[in-house]
Amino acid sequence: MRYYIGAEARLRRTIEDVAMSVFESWSYEEVITPSVDYYDLFEQGMGQTEAQRGFRFTDNDGRLLALRPDVTSSVARIAATLLADRPRPLRFCYAAPVFKQQTQSHAEWRRENTQLGCELIGVGGKPADLEVLRLAAEILSRLDLTSSYCITINNVEIFNGIAAQLDLDTPAREQLRRLIDTRETEELQRFLRDHAANDGHAFSQLAQLTGKRDVLRAAREVIRNERSLSALNALEELWLEIESRGLQNDFEIDLGDVPSLDYYTGLTLKVFVHGAGGSVGRGGRYDGLTGNFGRAEPAVGFVLNLDALTEVVGRRLSQQS
Amino acid sequence: MITIAIAKGRMQDDALALLARAGIRVSDDEINSRRLAITDETGGYRFLFVKPADVPVYVEHGIADCGVVGRDVLLESEADLLLPLDLGIARCRIVVAAVDPEVMTRAVGMLRVATKYSQIAATHFGSRGMPVEIIKLSGSVELAPALGLADLIVDLVQSGRTLRENGLTVVDEIAESTGRLVVNRASYQLKAEAVGRFVNALRAALNGGERA
Repeated sequence: MRYYIGAEARLRRTIEDVAMSVFESWSYEEVITPSVDYYDLFEQGMGQTEAQRGFRFTDNDGRLLALRPDVTSSVARIAATLLADRPRPLRFCYAAPVFKQQTQSHAEWRRENTQLGCELIGVGGKPADLEVLRLAAEILSRLDLTSSYCITINNVEIFNGIAAQLDLDTPAREQLRRLIDTRETEELQRFLRDHAANDGHAFSQLAQLTGKRDVLRAAREVIRNERSLSALNALEELWLEIESRGLQNDFEIDLGDVPSLDYYTGLTLKVFVHGAGGSVGRGGRYDGLTGNFGRAEPAVGFVLNLDALTEVVGRRLSQQS
Repeated sequence: MITIAIAKGRMQDDALALLARAGIRVSDDEINSRRLAITDETGGYRFLFVKPADVPVYVEHGIADCGVVGRDVLLESEADLLLPLDLGIARCRIVVAAVDPEVMTRAVGMLRVATKYSQIAATHFGSRGMPVEIIKLSGSVELAPALGLADLIVDLVQSGRTLRENGLTVVDEIAESTGRLVVNRASYQLKAEAVGRFVNALRAALNGGERA
C-alpha cells in the first residue's frame, strides 16, 4: 500500500509514458483487461501455485473471483478467443496494477504492483525473442539507466533436458531447480551424486553459471543430451544477435535462472538495475499458454515493475541534484 | 567496494577468522571500536555487524551485498537469497527436546512447543501432521518445560550441555545448521566481479583449511 504524491506521482507517470511510447513505436497496441475476473482464468494461465497467491473472493452466485494477479493470462485468453481470426503476429502492451499476496519477510512486500508489460503472440523463434529483448533494453536506456542495468537471459529447456534425462519425480525436480536457483553448490553436488547424473554434473562443474559467451562454451563441454544442446544452440544464436547489435554490455547469460513458473518454454529473462535489491522485471517465452485457452501458438513477453523503477529512478535523481 | 553483513555473537569470531584466512583482514582497533560498520585494511570490503535475524533482511533489500549467517536463521526467515557457500563455521543442530521423551507418543491432544524458531517448528510438526501450539519466546527457551510453559522445545544445540543441565533430552533432529554465505540476487549480477572475487577467496580458504 503506497501513495504517490506530487513530484513522485509525476515521475511515476513519466516512466509509464516512456515505456508505453517505446511499446507504441514498436507497433504494440495497448490492451486494458478487467481487474476482476473469474479465478479459473488465472489458474489456467499461471498455474495453481502462482494463481493461489491472488486475492480471491466469491461472486453473488458463489463462483470464485480474483483480483488479477497478472495480465498475461487475460491477454492470452483474448488472443485465443476474441481475436482468434486476427492476422498474426499480435502485439499487445499494457500498464496495469496486479495484486498478489506476498510473504511479509520479503523485500518485495507490496501487494499491489503496476506492471509495464508486452506480449508478442503468434511468432516463435529468434526474431521474436530478440524483439522483446531489444524493447526491454530500449525502455531502460530511455530511462537513463544505460550501464546501470543488466538483463540476464537463459533458456529453460537446458534445465528441462537435464531433469528429463535424470527421470526425476516432481518433488526431486523442484529440489534440483531450487538448488540451482539459489546456487547451493555443495548441496547440488551431493544431490547429483545421489542421482548418478551424467549431464547434471554440468551444473556443479560450471563454477560460474553467469557471464558472457564463454559460459555457453563451458556448458557445451559438459552437456550431452540433445534437448539441452539444442536449447544451448538457440541461446547462443540469440547471444550472437545481441553481440552483433553491440548490446553485449547490457546483457548476461545466467544458466542458473530457473524460474518456478512452469509455463516458460524457452527464453527466460530477468532485469536488474543498480539500486534495486531484487529484479525489477522478468519474462520469457510461454508457447504452451494460449493452448490452455484453445489455440496453441508461440508467445513471448516481459513485464517491468513500475513501482520498483520509480523508486530506483527517483533515488538516482535525488542523488544527482 | 561491497558490503557484507555479519551476524553478531557466536558467528562473528568464526567469520572473522575465516576472512583472515581468505586474506581479508580487519584491524583489531576497528573491531574494538564498537562501530557497527567498518572497512577492511584494503578498503575493498565494508562490514556491518547486525543481529543474526537482521542479516537476511539487509541482504535481501540489497543494503548489504553479501552476508554471513546461520542456516537456522535462514530457515526461519524464508528470505529469497542466493546461498553459494556452506562455510562450515558455528556448527550446531536444530532439535526437538523434552524433559520426558515419551511425551511425543503418550500425549493426547495438543502439545505445546516453546521456541525462538516458530516458522521452523510449524513446518516441522506440520509436515508430520502433529497438531501443536507454538509458543514464541525470544530466549532461555530451555526453561519453558521445567516451568510448565511447554511440553517440548525446538532450539539450537551445540554441545548439548545447556539441555542436560535443564533436564532435557533430544527427541528429534530437525536440521543441522552452519554458517552460510548469502548473496543478494541483484548484486550477484550487477557486481559480479567483486562478489565473485569474494566468494572465490572464501572458497579457497575453506579448501585450504580442509587440506591442513
